[in-house]
Amino acid sequence: MRNVLVLTIAVLACALTGCSQSYQWSKKHPAYSKAPYGELAIAGVQEAFVLTRTNWFAKRLDFGDSTQIKSTVFCAQVMLDEFRGGYSKLTVFPEKALAQFPEESQKLDDRIFMKGHLPDQGVQMLDSAGNVPPIVLLIHEVIVGTDLKREDYFDYAYTHNESQERSAVQNISAIVSYTLWDNLKQRPLFSAVDEIQRPIVQFTLKDLELLVRSSVQQIRSNLYTGANK
Amino acid sequence: MKPFRSSINLLLVVLLTLASVASAGKVYFDSKWTLWKDADILIWNTGKDLPIEPKEFCLSLRRSNSGIGDPKCRTLGEWERDTIAIRYGNWLSANMEPGLAAGYLKARHPSMSAKLQAIEDKIVMFISDKGSELQIAIFDETSSEPKAGGVVPMNADKIALGDEIASTFFDRNTTRRLSKEERAKKLTEPDDFYKEVPTFRAWAGISAGFAQAQIPFTPDNWYSSHTRSQVRNYRITKDSVSLWNFIDDSTPLYTLYVGGTWYGFIGGEIFYRYSSHKVKTDDRDTVYKELDHWDFSQHEIGLNVMFSQTFEPLKWFDIHAFAFLGFQYSFYSEDIALKDDNKKPSKAYESRIKFEDAYKGALLGIGSQFVVLDHYGFSIRTGISSRGKDVYTEPSPDAAAEPTTIGASTVDWFISFGLEYHWSL
Repeated sequence: MRNVLVLTIAVLACALTGCSQSYQWSKKHPAYSKAPYGELAIAGVQEAFVLTRTNWFAKRLDFGDSTQIKSTVFCAQVMLDEFRGGYSKLTVFPEKALAQFPEESQKLDDRIFMKGHLPDQGVQMLDSAGNVPPIVLLIHEVIVGTDLKREDYFDYAYTHNESQERSAVQNISAIVSYTLWDNLKQRPLFSAVDEIQRPIVQFTLKDLELLVRSSVQQIRSNLYTGANK
Repeated sequence: MKPFRSSINLLLVVLLTLASVASAGKVYFDSKWTLWKDADILIWNTGKDLPIEPKEFCLSLRRSNSGIGDPKCRTLGEWERDTIAIRYGNWLSANMEPGLAAGYLKARHPSMSAKLQAIEDKIVMFISDKGSELQIAIFDETSSEPKAGGVVPMNADKIALGDEIASTFFDRNTTRRLSKEERAKKLTEPDDFYKEVPTFRAWAGISAGFAQAQIPFTPDNWYSSHTRSQVRNYRITKDSVSLWNFIDDSTPLYTLYVGGTWYGFIGGEIFYRYSSHKVKTDDRDTVYKELDHWDFSQHEIGLNVMFSQTFEPLKWFDIHAFAFLGFQYSFYSEDIALKDDNKKPSKAYESRIKFEDAYKGALLGIGSQFVVLDHYGFSIRTGISSRGKDVYTEPSPDAAAEPTTIGASTVDWFISFGLEYHWSL
C-alpha cells in the first residue's frame, strides 16, 4: 500500500514538473491550407548539409581525404534526385541564392528556435530563367550524424550540452530544418524541424543515400499533414 | 404638422448617418494603442496619388474626436522614398487580410524595425489604395507590427474619406503627450518588475485604541468573576488573581512606538503603552466616603518581534501585513486623594491594597500597515496581552508571611489604530 502511495506521488510530481517534455516541432501560417502538388521550387539544398562525426564516416566511406565535402555534395545530390521524383516540375535555385538574405530565427515552440535565411519582405525570389515560382521550399540545414536528437540542437536550453555519449552506433540520423515559403506574399507557410533515424547493421554509402531519401519523404508527408492541421 | 414631419426627417437623416458610420469601415485588429492629444500624424502612402488631403484629414479628426486638441498631419515623404520602407509597405498591403493577427504582419527587416522604433511619439498611418477599399494600418514606436489595421471603402471625395478614417480608427480617448524632459525621465525610470524590497524599513507611530478583559467572540462568563468584582474596605475582593478584580478593565489605550523590518520579512518594535484605570470601589461601603478619587495609571514598555509580508496593489500604495509576538513590563502608578475636608484617613485607607512594583507579560497579535507614497501610514493592530508576576525574583525570607501576589494572571484584549511615518534605508 505504501509503495503505491510513493509511486502515485512520484507520478504526480513528474506530471507537475514535466518529466516528459513534449515539443511543438512545426508551425503553420493561417493561410497555409494546400500542400504543393506537382510543382515546387527548392533552395538552399547545396549548402544545407553538415556532417557530424566526420571521422566515424571517414573510416567507413571511401571518400579519401575530403569526406565532409564529398559526402555533403553526395547527400545534396540524392536529396534533389528524390525531390525530382516527387514533383513533375522542380525548379532548383542556384547555390547561394539564400545567402544574400539575413539569417533569422523562427519560433516553433517555447524553447525551440529555428535559424535560417529568409527572403526579405517585398522581395521575390527569381529563378535562373527570371520567373517567380509561387512556392519555394527553403532547406535551412540538414545535420547528418549518428544517433542524433533534434532537441539537442534546437532546444536552446540544451544547445550548450557538449557531452558526447560514447556508445555503439545504432542509427544514422538526419535533422532537417526547412520552411515552405510563399514567394508571392513573402511569408513562411510552414516551418518545421524533422528528425529521421535509420537503423544500421553494417554501414555503407547506401545507408546514407536511403537516409536522405527517407528524410525527403518525411518532409513531403509533413507538408501534407501540416496543410490539413 | 409641418414641424413634426421635418423633425421625423431629421431623425431619419441622423439614424442613416449613424448606420453608415457603424457599417462602413472594417477593423481587422486593434490593440490598445495610445492616441495622443495634439497628435503628430504622418501619412505613409504607398500609391502615387494621395487619396486624402492631410490638412482636411486633420479637420476630420477634430470633427470626430473632440479630445484630440490640435493635431498636425503631413505626408511621410522620407519613407515614401526609402527602398526598405517601400518594400515593407508593398508587402504589408499584399499581406493584410481579415482574420490575420497583427503578429503575422511584423516588419522583419532590421532597418525597418529601426525606423519604426524611431517614430517617437508620432503616429504613422499607413494607407494603400486597393481599388474599392483603402487599407489603413496604424504604427507607433512601441512595436514593429501594426497596432491597428483595417479597411474603409474608397471614396473619391477626400473629405468624406478622411471623415471615414477618423471615425473608424481615431475614435478613442486621447492622452497628453509627454514633454522631452518627461520622456527622458521616463526612460530612466526603473521597471517596477525589478523593484527591490528595501533592506530596512523603519517607522514611528502613535496610536489610540481600546482594551478590555473580554476577548471578542468568547463567552462572557469566562471573565465575569473578575470584571464584576468590586473592592470593599480598600482591599477585599473575591480573589486577587487578576488585576481586573480591582480596577476597571475597559479603557482607552494609547501607544507610542518605533519599529523596523529587514527585507520586508522580519522586524521588531519598541513600544510604550498608557491607559488609566479606575479602582472599582463598592459604593455601598461607607468607608469610601472620605475618598475623592482612586485610579491607577498603567505604563507598559516592551519589545515585539514581527513577521511581515508586503503586498503592493497600487504603485503608490503598500500593505504590510504582520503578526507579532513580544514581551512587556507593566507598571502601575497610583493616584489617590481624599476629599479636602477629610484630614485624617481611615485605618483601612492606610492599609489599602498595593500592587507589585512591576509585572512581566507577553503580547501576541496581528496587524496591518497601509502605506501611501512610501511614507505615510495608517495601521491597525489587535491582539492579547498579559501581565504576571516576575517569576525570576528572589524569594524573600518572609515570603510565607506576605499575601498572595495580586494580579498574577491579568489578560486583556486590545485593538488600536495608528498614524505612522515610514522611511526606508
